Order: sequence, then C-alpha cells, then structure tokens
Amino acid sequence: MDRALRTRLERRFGERLTGPVRQRHDETEIRITAADVTEVVRSLHDEPELDFRLLADLCGVDTGDRMQVVYHLWSATTVDWLRVVADGLDRESPRVPSATFLWKGAEWMEREAYDMFGIVFEGNRDLRRIYMPDDYASFPLRKDFHLADDSSRSPGLGVRPMEETLAPADATPATLLRRSGAERA
Amino acid sequence: MTTDARTPNPHAALDDPSVLIEDVVRESIVEAVPIGRTERQAEFYTLRDGEMLLNMGPQHPSTHGVLRVVLKIDGERVVDIDPVIGYLHRGVEKLCENADYHQAICYTDPLEYVSSLFCEWAPVMAFEKLLDVEVPRRAEYIRVLSTELNRVASHALTMGWFALDLGGLTPVLYSFIERDEIMEMLTALTGQKLLFNYMRIGGVNGDLNHEFMSRLGDWMSRAARHIESNQGLLNENEILVRRARGLGILDPETALRMAVTGPNLRASGVPFDVRRAHPYSVFPELDFDIPTRQEGDCLARYLLRIDEIKQSLRIIDRCLHQLPDGPVMARLPRLVRPRPGRAFAAVEGPRGMYAAYVISDGTDQPFRMRIHDPSFVHLQLVGLMTPGNLVADTMAIMASLDPVMGGVDK
Amino acid sequence: MAQGRPHVAVNDRALDPIGANSALDPVGGSGAPDGATALPVPAASTDVVEAIVVPNTLWTPVDPADYGPGTTGLNAEIEHLREVEASGVMSRDDARWSGALEIIPTKADYVLDLIRANSLWPLLSGLACCAIEMMSTATSRNDIDRWGMFPFRASPRQADVLIVAGTLTTKMAEPLLRLWEEIPEPKWCVAMGDCTCSGGRFKRSYSTVQGIDRIMPVDVYVPGCPPRPEGLIYGMMKLQKLVVDRRGHWPERKIGPTVPAGL
Repeated sequence: MDRALRTRLERRFGERLTGPVRQRHDETEIRITAADVTEVVRSLHDEPELDFRLLADLCGVDTGDRMQVVYHLWSATTVDWLRVVADGLDRESPRVPSATFLWKGAEWMEREAYDMFGIVFEGNRDLRRIYMPDDYASFPLRKDFHLADDSSRSPGLGVRPMEETLAPADATPATLLRRSGAERA
Repeated sequence: MTTDARTPNPHAALDDPSVLIEDVVRESIVEAVPIGRTERQAEFYTLRDGEMLLNMGPQHPSTHGVLRVVLKIDGERVVDIDPVIGYLHRGVEKLCENADYHQAICYTDPLEYVSSLFCEWAPVMAFEKLLDVEVPRRAEYIRVLSTELNRVASHALTMGWFALDLGGLTPVLYSFIERDEIMEMLTALTGQKLLFNYMRIGGVNGDLNHEFMSRLGDWMSRAARHIESNQGLLNENEILVRRARGLGILDPETALRMAVTGPNLRASGVPFDVRRAHPYSVFPELDFDIPTRQEGDCLARYLLRIDEIKQSLRIIDRCLHQLPDGPVMARLPRLVRPRPGRAFAAVEGPRGMYAAYVISDGTDQPFRMRIHDPSFVHLQLVGLMTPGNLVADTMAIMASLDPVMGGVDK
Repeated sequence: MAQGRPHVAVNDRALDPIGANSALDPVGGSGAPDGATALPVPAASTDVVEAIVVPNTLWTPVDPADYGPGTTGLNAEIEHLREVEASGVMSRDDARWSGALEIIPTKADYVLDLIRANSLWPLLSGLACCAIEMMSTATSRNDIDRWGMFPFRASPRQADVLIVAGTLTTKMAEPLLRLWEEIPEPKWCVAMGDCTCSGGRFKRSYSTVQGIDRIMPVDVYVPGCPPRPEGLIYGMMKLQKLVVDRRGHWPERKIGPTVPAGL
C-alpha cells in the first residue's frame, strides 16, 4: 500500500480520474473513462517518475450494466501493482482505444477481450476471434450468456450448443446480423 | 446448421410480392458489421510472387499441444507467420464464475498442466487477499517447496521437448525420468500425479508425510549429479548449439513491449522475477539468485532454464532447513463469502508471470475470474522472431519459448 | 547444326542449364567448338511432329452395342458394384490374402489379429494434460514399447490407434474427425481421460464436446483425470484383447465412412 504512489497519481491525473484512488493490500486502482485511456496509459508508460513499463494483464469485465477494460501495470518505482480501470463502456457497443501502440503484446489480449465480450479496440490491427471459431456468433463471457448443463444436442462438426440455445426463434443466418453492436437475445 | 421446424425460410421475403427487393437488400447489408479481413489478415494473406502458405497443425508432432501455425514461406525461408489458437479453449473463466471459490481451484489446474501448482497458487492468493486470510508459515513453506519441485519438473520437460523438436529423441527420455521421479514425490504429497488440486484457500491440503520426505531426501542427494549428466548430453552438443545459437534474438526493449515475463525476459537481460520484483509468500526470507543472460537467443533461454533448476534446488534446500512447525491450513468456513472487491495476485511460474485477477460481488461465487497466462503472451513472439528464418527454425523458436497450449487457450 | 541456329532472345536456361549449347548464348558466340559439346540438344524448333499411326491389324475390336443396353457404361458399373456388395466380400476382413484364407479362415485370422494386437501404432494426438501422461507412458519408466506401441506416428496414414488424450473442443472436433477418417482401416479409438469419455470436469463448458463418442466410435474408455500410465497401459491391454477377440467397432463395419449417416 504505497501512499506516495497515491499522491503522485492524484497530482498527475487528478481531473481525469472518475473516482478516488483506491488501495488495498498491494494494489492501487484508478478509474478513468474510455476516452482518456490513450493519454493516461501513455503518461504512465513514458514518464520517468511513473515508469509503468510492464503490462501485466489486460482484460475485460462485464459488470452486468456496463463493461470495463482493466489494465494491470508494474513499475520499478513502486511496490504496488497499478490497476487502471477504463470504466463506463456501453454494454451494447463497447469501444475503447487500443493499447497496442505502446505494447505490441497487448494485441492478443485485446483479441481475447473482443472474443469473450465483444469489446472493440480501436487501433488494433488484428481484431478477430482468437479462441472461438471464426463464425461463432456469441460472446461467451458476457453475463447474458448462460451455461447449460448438458449442452450438446447434435453431435458432429457443427456442435454449437450455446448458439442454438440463445438464438431467438426467428433467427436465421440471413437475419443474424449485428445491428450497430447490439446483441441478439 | 439445424433444420428445425421453427426456423423459417430465410428467402421467404423474396417470394412475397409485396416486399420490395431494395428493402431486403438494404436491410441485409447496411447495418451488418463487416466480417471482412482485419488489416493484419489482409497483409498476411496477400501472397507475393513465389510465396506459399503452409499449414502446420493443429495436430503436429512438434507443437506443444494443439497449435495451428500458418506459415507464409518463400522456398525454405519463412516470410510471415500466423498462429491460430483456440483448439483447447475450455471456457475455464466462465466455469469458475459458476462455481464456488473452493471449486474454482479445480478448474484452474488443467490450464498449464505441466506446472499446475502455479496455476492454483495465483488464484488462491487472490482469494486470500479478498478474504484477508493469513496463511500459516508452515503452509507457505510447503507451498514454496512443492512449487519449486514442480518448477524443476517443468523445466526438465522443457529441455526434453526442446531437443525433441530439434530432432533428438533421447533427451526427452531422460527428462521424463526426472519428471517421473518428482511426480512420484508429489503424488505421495498431494495424492495426484498431474493435476494436483493441492492448494487451498489459507494453506495446503495436507502436511508433509514420511514417504514424501524420504523420496525427497533421496532425490535431493542425487539431483545435482543428474542435472549435470543430463546437461552433458546437450549443452555441448554441436548440433543443438549451432542450431540454437543466434536464433530468435529478443532484445530487452522489444521484450518489454511484448509484455514478456519469465525466463524469456531474463534471457534477454532484464532481471525481472516476480519473486524478487514483487515478493510474495516467504520468498523474502529465502536466499536465491535470479539468473540472467544477455544474448536473448534460443540457446540462452535453454541455458537459463538449467540455471533456474539449480536455483530451485537451492530454494528447496533452504525450505527444508527453515521449515517451521504449525498448521498447514487456516480455518475457513466451507462456504466462503468475501466482501465485494477486487484482487490481483501474480506468481513466478516456470514460463513467466502467472497472474489471477478476481472480482468478488459478495456472493459465494467469483464474479469474474481472470487468468493471465504467460504462454499466451509469449506466443505472439513467434510472429516476431520467425520471419527470415528457415522452416525448421520455427520449431526451435517455439520450443525455446516453451508455450503450453492449455494455458494459452484457457 | 550450323545453319539452323535459332536466335533465342531470352536467356532460356531451362533449355540449356549447363551452357552446353552456345547457340542459345544471348551474347551470340561464334558457334560450338569442335567436339567440345557433344551433348544431345533438344530441337529448338516449334514444328509439330507428325504422329506415327500404326493401324490396328492385331485384333478386331468389339462393338459395345453387341452386349446390350445395360451392360456397359456407368450403369453397368453400378450394377456390378451392387452385386459385389450383395455377395458380402466387402464386409469381410479386407486385408485377407485372397484365396488361401477361404480354406483355413480361423487360424490365419487369429494370427493376423495377433500381429495387429502386438504392433498397434498410435497416432500422436495429444491434446491436453492427458498427453503428458501418454508421453509418460511412452518413456522409460512405464514403457509402452514392451507392447510394441512405441512408434507414435506423426501421420495418420501410418497409424492404427487413435488415442484421443485431452479435452476435445468444438473447434478441434473437425480436425480430429479428419484425422480419424484419414487413418486407414483397421483402426481403433481409445478415449483417454475423463474429458474424452464424458466431458469430465468441463462438462458444463460451452466449447467442449462432452465425450468423443458423440462424434466417433470409441473402442476403449480409459477414465481418470489424468489416468495414470498404468491405467493407460491397462486400457491398451484391453484393446489388445479386443483386437484378438475381434470385438470393438471395426470388424462389423462395412467399408465406408465410419461416422453414421445423419450426423
């Protein structure tokens, strides 16, 4: 719990933080909006007194009423992990700037967040599905995607249990379109 | 494609004379999100004169699991590479959201199956942070002891697979001898051979027992000599050295840009080890070094892992000497309900920094369990390091990065 | 040939890889030195050579119309195949030596089955954690080479047994089924590990196939998570017994797709 880090962050990013800097155990958390991601992350990376040069994790979170993208960073200047939460993404059409301009290794992490949640990272040169097959139509880690207990109805190559369960009654391949990011069902 | 009675004819609109064709067309194309190619795909799948696409996998004797790699080659030189993963995606994060905290530990085992104690340790540490549980010191020492043994086994396997991917079939047999001995030890300790399920929130599942200690003592007295002799098989083998030296050089700046951690980062000269950079458990009390190498090529990564085995032996020795008495698990209720909050915990696994980010919403099931696996991040390095090399070097590079597809695909 | 030297403007190395014919030299050398280039050079002209036709005086060809309407062409072939299938030769052991086994079917069958059982070559198809245990079975401590199964073939064309070791996901189901189809008969399938028997600990998952017997016929199920090498060896010994007793799915199958129609 690094109090000095908290004061440094509040001084540097005061107006951009959408909430207080929270600290618990060995983690410090700041919350920003999606629009500020580029600036904040670049400052954290480039400025020598912050020097958060190691990206530990990049993930998406679906809180039920909104989406978030969470970055975990490490710096040699502090003993804490820094967690940057880009909050307030719209659940129907979550868009956030990509971090690949700083860390090329974030490319696949963002692909995974897209695959699991549908979060579009603007600026990622390779935003396509990474875990699920390319023609999979759902985003599995969203909160409106439910697991079934015995999920497979038809064996064989086309086993897509969750899509069959969740597709609405009149869904056909022609009408299974994404209308500006809105999910079916 | 199901032929369900409730699925209407998609072309019914075209048969209906009252529907204008332009409305149908407009509806079908205007609001669709283009499922075209991404920039990277367009760049990759555009073949110049003389280039060819070669598909390796998902079943291939040289991949570390089910990894499909599409190579764009010009003769024997690789021009570009596109790894396709997801053939082992089991939905662990979603399954953990629908299970208790104790049950979730079982789901995290098969991620990096060769080093599954680490895969349990990071989430368990995160749960303990959420619950503010203090782990007894004896339990911490047992955790360190068992995980360092698992690290030695994992590195032994990695060395065997490195040689196997380069074509040498013998060293993998020696690796498996080492690994099987350690696995028998851990079976005596945990009851399971591969997916241990040994870590619990607040400690470990059971104390050390006589069989484990006798096997451990027996093995420790021979371990250093075994490692020396196994090293002698490979370290000065001209074929291995000439193939691996200078191949796939990763400079430290690029490594940090690619979010690389673990032996791959330390072989490039950056001395980042979670055990020293962000100490957890009882590592501040243990005396060990962080081996680092400067060259950053495949041979450096291979030799670094041997150095790490030696350091692990040192840690195990220190643990055995400093082992305190006490309980091995904190007392917790069967159903745990942490306060709402978030916790992030990272451990230094054999492949890199293995981390877990857990969000709790006050119920008895985690709200979000995010696993950060190092192999997932390191597989992007293949796209950086392979272009310009020969097809056979692809295997050497992938083997030196040591990915485990269970962790990559979660 | 001195006067028929064509002027070849393009550097046609394909015609003259070692430069024996300096007539093709774009610099325009002054002709071949005497006797130095004695290699036969293909004629560079583009004349069409007349085909030499030898009239057929050896036999009188038959007229297909003499044989009646249904006896030649595609329909005749289909009829013939139907007859062959009805006679049942296709559903018997396809690796028979024709003729000899009709006389003593039992003993030679038995010997063939013993040969197969003692030399089952598995395909390297390790998917997940069970693959490590499979490798552990193959290495020194639990040596599956004692039963002849050490050569894990990389190519399905050379394998006998498909040991599916590890969780099968829906993305991997298609490649695995392709592998299974590519293995030539006789073939057997061993489901190793809980995930392949029934889905295992990933039974509720959205992306796994709950047991590979949903997509392919399985002969031996080896439960465990992961099964110990001794368990896998026990399963392989059971498979050997299956092979010798001619149980399992293969002997009753007709030759054809192994996955039932309608899937």
